[in-house]
Amino acid sequence: MFELTEPQKMIQQAFRQWCENELQPKVEALEKAEINPFDLMRQMLDAFGMRDAMREGMKRKVQKMREKGPVEDKKEEGLVEDKKEEGDPDDPMEMAQRDMMIPFTMIKELCRVAPGFAMSFGVSTALAGGTILSKGNADQIEKWGVPINALDKVGCWCLTEPEAGSDAFGSMKATAKPKDDYYILNGQKTFITNAPYGEIFVVYAKIDRGQPKDKQPVHAFVLEKGMPGLTTGKPFEKMGMKDSPTGEVFMDDVKVPKANLLGVEKDNLRDQAKESLGNERSGVPAMCLGIIERCFEESVKYAKERKQFGKPIGEFQAIQLKIANMYIKYMNVQNIVYRLAWMGSAKKRDMAFICASKAYAAQAAIEVAMEAIQIFGGYGYMKEYHVEKLLRDAKLLELGAGTTDINLLTTARILLRD
Amino acid sequence: MKIGVLMKQVPDTETKIRIKDDASGIVVDGIKWVMNPYDEYAVEEALRIKEKKAGSTVTIISMGPKRSVETIRTGLAMGADSGILIDDPALEGADCYATAKALAKVMEPENFDLILCGKQAIDDDSAQVPQMVAEFLGMPQAMVIDKLVVSDDGKKATCYRRIEGGAKEVLEVDLPAIVAAEKGLNEPRYASLPGIMKAKSKPFKEINLGALGLKAEEVGAKGAKLKVKKYFLPAEKAPGKIIPGEPEDAARALVKMLREEAKVV
Repeated sequence: MFELTEPQKMIQQAFRQWCENELQPKVEALEKAEINPFDLMRQMLDAFGMRDAMREGMKRKVQKMREKGPVEDKKEEGLVEDKKEEGDPDDPMEMAQRDMMIPFTMIKELCRVAPGFAMSFGVSTALAGGTILSKGNADQIEKWGVPINALDKVGCWCLTEPEAGSDAFGSMKATAKPKDDYYILNGQKTFITNAPYGEIFVVYAKIDRGQPKDKQPVHAFVLEKGMPGLTTGKPFEKMGMKDSPTGEVFMDDVKVPKANLLGVEKDNLRDQAKESLGNERSGVPAMCLGIIERCFEESVKYAKERKQFGKPIGEFQAIQLKIANMYIKYMNVQNIVYRLAWMGSAKKRDMAFICASKAYAAQAAIEVAMEAIQIFGGYGYMKEYHVEKLLRDAKLLELGAGTTDINLLTTARILLRD
Repeated sequence: MKIGVLMKQVPDTETKIRIKDDASGIVVDGIKWVMNPYDEYAVEEALRIKEKKAGSTVTIISMGPKRSVETIRTGLAMGADSGILIDDPALEGADCYATAKALAKVMEPENFDLILCGKQAIDDDSAQVPQMVAEFLGMPQAMVIDKLVVSDDGKKATCYRRIEGGAKEVLEVDLPAIVAAEKGLNEPRYASLPGIMKAKSKPFKEINLGALGLKAEEVGAKGAKLKVKKYFLPAEKAPGKIIPGEPEDAARALVKMLREEAKVV
């Protein structure tokens, strides 16, 4: 269980190679926003034959859904009708998606080099694309799910608002007012990954039929670039994750067709978005693992090479203790990722574990990146040595997908529940 | 066309090589094994020919320990159709001659129209196996090739190689022949994700000496014509010097150093 299978290992090696050859040399240009990260992602998907395979696989999935007729409610992650099957051997992408360790391995490899790039990729495909795949009907998947998963179009996932962060649902102000065959959406979303390049927006809003705020159900809608009233702000300047464009999304009386509501309009308040939150959170430790692994490896290498007082600094106990403590966190997070992959593949959902893992892994990533800089000394503070970028990027992982504090509180609430 | 590709699993180019205490070989623990980079060009070229000529197949052949299966599967994930591994304890200690003998033997019944391989393996750098295999099979050979054109009827191959003075030598060989790849032949693809997921279900066979019809004394250390007496690392080089400044001044300084310090001119 604590070892990659042969296909997982092959994917890991292939991605390592791609990241070293194609991604690492472009990190600086990505950080300065001089190149379009999505062009590079498309090159990546093409290099691994993933775009075509994804389109074909989803086409088959859509056809299957149409043959089986509409499914009333898709509660669980993944398509209900497929749940018990072993996976389609003619659909390699589906086989890969069923094995959570495969996407985790890809994300980890990307994060060794460019966590922001990995985040933008994950948000368009797994988060926005994943929401459409799990909630959408055949038409919606065909129209929006396929293009944002194959990155023909860039996807965004819009939940956070200027006054609704940790209290994303309770304080949510965005509304969707039913009118004829439309919903009229108003509101503002912020810290939205990919917004400056966004073409398909999965937006959460409260359906407002005049009932009190706390009785308004939260639903996800698909908005498309070019809809009158939908605009995005200038890209934010950030501390880290500069290789991932972030911005605001404004909705001013946007007329959204009824067919753009994901799922079925119901009175459940938050379940829909919560499921996606769980997915987002369970992907974060894999990102942390990439940062931690790279920082650890670079530190070990440097400790052996760098000489001070006539010997490699790795021979000093001060450095040895740091290396050992970094290793403990590295192994802990690696074990967590293996467990999350097992949970994901076995369709076991344990929100307490997911939230606790997310909180722990993000803290561990910051601590390990900090120690790496300390081992590198002045050089670690220089851009050239890469660990400074990983530290800046790591900090976001304590803020996005629920802050560490919120994840800890959620963990405790679940554990203390009657 | 039926294409065979000879492939060797070698230590990753970034491996820090350590010698065994008794100098009988290198320490293999902890080594990351990869496909010999020159063989990657051969696999890629085979796949490109396959893509052009409908009905073609690509078979990867390797001799080595069990772990070589993983590298063969990388070739299958890139798009090759089948794999053969010759694995037998009696093969250990083979030199190029004994290796070529076993490889030729396994390929004989396959009747390949074209055999591709790397010009050399980056571990022992002998660059002899392809030529010897050609000799054992009685096939024409074209070595160190950086451009390959197979005729439409699949009967001939035109092979290009760089020679001294920046010129190119053009060889035309009748097929079947064995062609050894040089860097520049192509840009090898990554193993695709669908390819990786399918690799395990592609035909793969493992052959031991008995099945091959060879005797233990013909191959491995016993059949080798070359014995390695000792492995050692080259002496550590002193760091180089960079002479700064304008070319003219730098050249002057260099000549001065060659005269006064190195005393070579």
